[in-house]
Amino acid sequence: MSKRKIARVMSVVMGIVMGMASLTGCAQSTSDDKVEVELVSYKPEAVEAFEEIAERFNATHEDVYLKIDSPNEAMTILKTRFIREDYPDIVGIGGDINYSNFLDADLFMDISELEEVRTVKQSYLDMDKELEFVPKEGTYALPYVANAAGILYNRDMFEEHGWQIPETWNEFIALCEEIKASGIQPLYLGYKDTWTCLAPWNALAVGLSDSDTCNQVNMGNTTFAEEYRESAEKMKVLLDYAEPNPYAYGYNDACTAFARGQSAMYPIGSYAIPQIKSVNPTMNIDSFTFPANEAEEDNVLNSGIDLQFCVMKNCENKEAVYEVLRFLYEDETIQIYLDNQGGVACKEGDFEIPAELDGMSTYIENDRMADYQDHHYPSEMSVDAMMQTFLLDNSEDAVDIFLKRFDTDWERYNRDLIRKVQQYQQEKGDAQ
Amino acid sequence: MMKKAQKTNWVLTIVLILGTVTVFFPLYMAFIIAFKQPSEMTNDVAGALSFPVKWSFDNFEQAMEVTDFWHSLGNSLLITLTTIVLAVLIHSIAGYVIGRGMAKKKSFHFIYLYIVSGMFVPFSILMMPLVKQTAQMGLGNRVGVILLYLVFYMPMNVLLYSGYLKNIPVALEEAADIDGASTWKTYWKIVFPMMKPMHATVAILTALGTWNDVMTPLVIMSGTGQNTLPLAQLNFQTQFGTNYNLAFASYILALIPILVFYIICQKQILNGVANGAVKG
Amino acid sequence: MRKKMTNRDKTFWAVIIPVLVLFFTFNTLPMIKGIIYSFTNYRGYGTYDYVGFRNYIDLFTDARVGKSYLFTFKYALAGTVLVNVLSLIMALGLNSRIRFKSALRGIYFVPNILGGLVIGYIFSFIFTYILPAVGNTFNISFLQNSILASEKYAWIGVLIVGVWQAVAMNTIIYISGLQTVPQDVYEASVLDGASKWKEFWQVTLPLVVPFVTINLVLSTKNFLMVFDQIMSLTKGGPAQSTESISYLIYRNGMDGGQFGFQSANAVIFFLVIVAISVFQMTVMNKKEEQL
Repeated sequence: MSKRKIARVMSVVMGIVMGMASLTGCAQSTSDDKVEVELVSYKPEAVEAFEEIAERFNATHEDVYLKIDSPNEAMTILKTRFIREDYPDIVGIGGDINYSNFLDADLFMDISELEEVRTVKQSYLDMDKELEFVPKEGTYALPYVANAAGILYNRDMFEEHGWQIPETWNEFIALCEEIKASGIQPLYLGYKDTWTCLAPWNALAVGLSDSDTCNQVNMGNTTFAEEYRESAEKMKVLLDYAEPNPYAYGYNDACTAFARGQSAMYPIGSYAIPQIKSVNPTMNIDSFTFPANEAEEDNVLNSGIDLQFCVMKNCENKEAVYEVLRFLYEDETIQIYLDNQGGVACKEGDFEIPAELDGMSTYIENDRMADYQDHHYPSEMSVDAMMQTFLLDNSEDAVDIFLKRFDTDWERYNRDLIRKVQQYQQEKGDAQ
Repeated sequence: MMKKAQKTNWVLTIVLILGTVTVFFPLYMAFIIAFKQPSEMTNDVAGALSFPVKWSFDNFEQAMEVTDFWHSLGNSLLITLTTIVLAVLIHSIAGYVIGRGMAKKKSFHFIYLYIVSGMFVPFSILMMPLVKQTAQMGLGNRVGVILLYLVFYMPMNVLLYSGYLKNIPVALEEAADIDGASTWKTYWKIVFPMMKPMHATVAILTALGTWNDVMTPLVIMSGTGQNTLPLAQLNFQTQFGTNYNLAFASYILALIPILVFYIICQKQILNGVANGAVKG
Repeated sequence: MRKKMTNRDKTFWAVIIPVLVLFFTFNTLPMIKGIIYSFTNYRGYGTYDYVGFRNYIDLFTDARVGKSYLFTFKYALAGTVLVNVLSLIMALGLNSRIRFKSALRGIYFVPNILGGLVIGYIFSFIFTYILPAVGNTFNISFLQNSILASEKYAWIGVLIVGVWQAVAMNTIIYISGLQTVPQDVYEASVLDGASKWKEFWQVTLPLVVPFVTINLVLSTKNFLMVFDQIMSLTKGGPAQSTESISYLIYRNGMDGGQFGFQSANAVIFFLVIVAISVFQMTVMNKKEEQL
C-alpha cells in the first residue's frame, strides 16, 4: 500500500509548517555579536522619547544593543508575556499594584548594588517600600519619573476672568459656581474609560485619608466606610460642574475638549499634558493641588511613581542591563524624557519642574505628597468600575451602598493577601 | 393565474432597496470621515455627513504608516491563506476517513463524536492554558495561530465533509479498489475532486472566521511585533484615539481587502455559506 | 480481499491518528489544564496553591460574575429572537418576486463579512456623536445622550450592532431553507385559497423548521460568546453593565491576575453552553418530528 505516499505527503505538510516556523524564527536574530537588552515600557505615549533614548544609547555603545518597546495595552501584553514565560530584560512600569504583584511573584532582581540607587530621592524609595505586600530585603525598582495629579486649568481663561486659585474645598466650589455663572463649563471629566473616574478620586482621597489606609484596613484597624465617606460625597459634588453625561466621553474626548477650551479645569494628572498639547500645542496650562480640605494646610498633593525600571530576575546579562540602567539614569537622558513627557524626576538634582506644574511646585519642593490610593487596589477588584457604578447611582443611599461594597469586595479580593500579611506578622511575632 | 404570480412586487422591491440604507449608512459615514481633516469635524449632523472639503489621501497615507498596514495585511493574508489550504487538505481527508469509517466501525463513530463535540468548547476555557502551552512549545507566533485555527475549525469542517460524503456513492471507491488502486490514491484521485463544492464552502467559512478574528492573535502573539489587520486596529485605537479622521482612514483600510474579495467572489461566498448551513 | 481491507484500515488509522493528536493537543489538553487551574489561586505567573472548590464557591457569590451572566443571557436571548425574526422576514422578502434579487441579497450580506471590531468602532462613533447630534437638531430627547453611556440602555447599543451583523448570515440560511420548499406545495396552498398569513404558518414555516434549528443554535452560541463588540463599543461599561462572560474571562483572567478564578468561570461557562445547545437541539428535534 501507500505508506510511502503517506510519508511523502506528511513530509510536504511538515515542510510547509517548518517553512513557516523558519519564517517567524529569523526575526529574532539581531545585529552581529551584540548583547541585546530588551526593555518593555508600559507608556505608549512616551514612544518618541524612548526612541530617542535608544538611538543615543546604541550610538554610544558598541557591545550592547538596546531595544525599547512601548506597546499599546502594554500592561495586558506584559502580563500575557509573563504568562507565556517570555520575559524581557527590563520592564518600565508604574509604582502601583502591578509592581506589588510582580514583586510578590518573585519576578524581579535585587538591584541594590547598583550605584544609581543611591541617587534616588528617599521619598520615592519609601513609596516603593510601601508597595511591598510583605517587607522584602533589597531594592527592586529604580524610580524614574513621578507624576502629580490635581486640577489642570486653562491659564489664559483664568487670567481673562480674574479667577483666583482656590485653596480650600469651599473656595473651590465657589469658583466652580462663578465659572458656571459666566457661562463656561467648570470641569470636564470624561468618565467613559472607567479609570478616569479614579483621577479625581485619588486626588481627593490623599487629602482626606491616610496614605496607608489600605494597609490599616488589611490589619483590621479601620474600615473604608469610615475613611472614604467624605471623598465619596465630594466625588458626587463634582458631577454638578461637569459636562452633562460624562459617561459618554472617554479620556481622549476629555483631553480634546479641555484643549479646545470647552472647560476651564480638568481634574487629571500631569501625564495628560502631552496629550492635551498634541491637540492644542500653544495652550497655556497650569495646575493646582486638589483643595480637598477646609483648611489649606491639610491638603496633600497626589503624586506617585509614574515610571520605574525593574530588572527581571532571570535576565542573563546583568552587566549589560546595568549598563543600560546607568545610561537611563544620566541627567541628560532623564531630561530627554522630561522634555517629552513632563513630570518630576525621581533622581536628586537640579531638574526643572515643568511650567505646567508651577501651581504644585511648593508642594513638591516641601515634600507634601502622598501616593495614589489606587496603587494599592487589586486590579481584579476593578475599583474604577465600582466608582463609575457609584457615580451613576442616583439613589439616596448611594454613598452607603458604595462604601459597604468597597469593604466587602476588599475582603474578598484581598483574601490571600490579608492571610499573607497576617501570617507574616505572626511569624515576625514568633521570631521575637 | 401563472401570469399574476410572475408579476414583480415593486412595493417590496422599493422597500428592500430603501432598507439597504442600514447597510450603507455606517460605511458611508466612515468613508466620509476618513477623508476629512479634524477641523472639519463639527458637532452637528451636517458636519458629520457632508462631503469633505478636499478629497485627500493624507489620512490614509498616515494611517498606513502608523499601523504598518502592508505588514499587517501580509500577516493576515499569510495566516488566512495557509489556514484555508491546510483546512481543505487535512479536514477533508479527516472527514472522509471518519465518514467512511463510521459506517462500519464503532471506534470511528466515537472519534466523530469526540471531534464534533469540540464545537461546544468556548475559546475562553482554552485561552489561558493555550497561551502558556503555545509559548512553551515555541508556537507563540503565526504558526501557532494557524495550528489553533486548524483545530478550532476542525469540528465544523469534519461535520460538513462527512455529511457531504453521504452524497458520494461508495461504489465508486469499491470499483477503484477492485482495480487495485490504494485507498490513499483513490481518495485524492476520485473522492477529493468530487467534494469540490464542499471545499468552497469550507474555505469560505474558515476564511471569514479567521480573517476577522481578534481574540486568538491577541492572546497568542501580542507583543511579538506581529499584527494582523484587526489587531492593528485595536492597537491603533488606544494610541491615536483623539484623531477620529486618522482612525477612520485606518478602519476603511482594514475593511477594503475583504470587501474587494467579497465583490469579486460574491456568488461563491453566498452559495458557500448557504451550502454549509444546508449540509450541516 | 481481506488483505485489501486491512490496507484500507491502515490508511484510515494513519490519517486519523495525527489528526487526533493535533486535536487532543490543542483542544482537549488545554481544556484539562484549564480545569486543573480552576482549582488554584494562580495569577498566571509566579507560584500558586491549590484551593479546592473555593473558586467555584466564590463564583456563585460574586456579584460581578453574576451580573455578567445576566447580561450575556439577556443579550443572547434578545439577540437570538430578534435576529431570527428579522432574518426570516428578510428572507421572505428577498425570496419573493422582486427585482434586483441577487444584488439585494449581496448587499444585505455585507455586514457579515466585516470584522466585528472595526464595525464596533464605527458604530461607537455613531452612538456617541451622530445620534446625539440628530437628537439635538430635531429635539428628540431620548437620542440626545449617547446610548452607550447609559447604564440601563448601553446593552441595547451593543445588541443593535450584534444584530446588524448577524442578520445577514441567518437570512442567507433561511433563504436556502425557503428554496427547498417545493413550488407545488405553494401552488397547492394557493389552490386551497389559503391566505398569505395562513400559508406562512401552515406551509412555509413547518418546512423551514430544520433551518430554524440551525439558526437558533448558531446564533445563540455566537451571541453567548460575544467579545469583539464589547471590546470596541463599551469595554464592559458603563458601571460594568455590559460585561459579557468572555470579556470578563479575558479581562480578569489575563490582565487582572485571576487566572485560576476565571478558569473556574470558563468551566462553568462551557457547561452552560453545552446544556443550552443540547436543550435547543432536543426540543427542536421533537418539534420536527411532530410536524
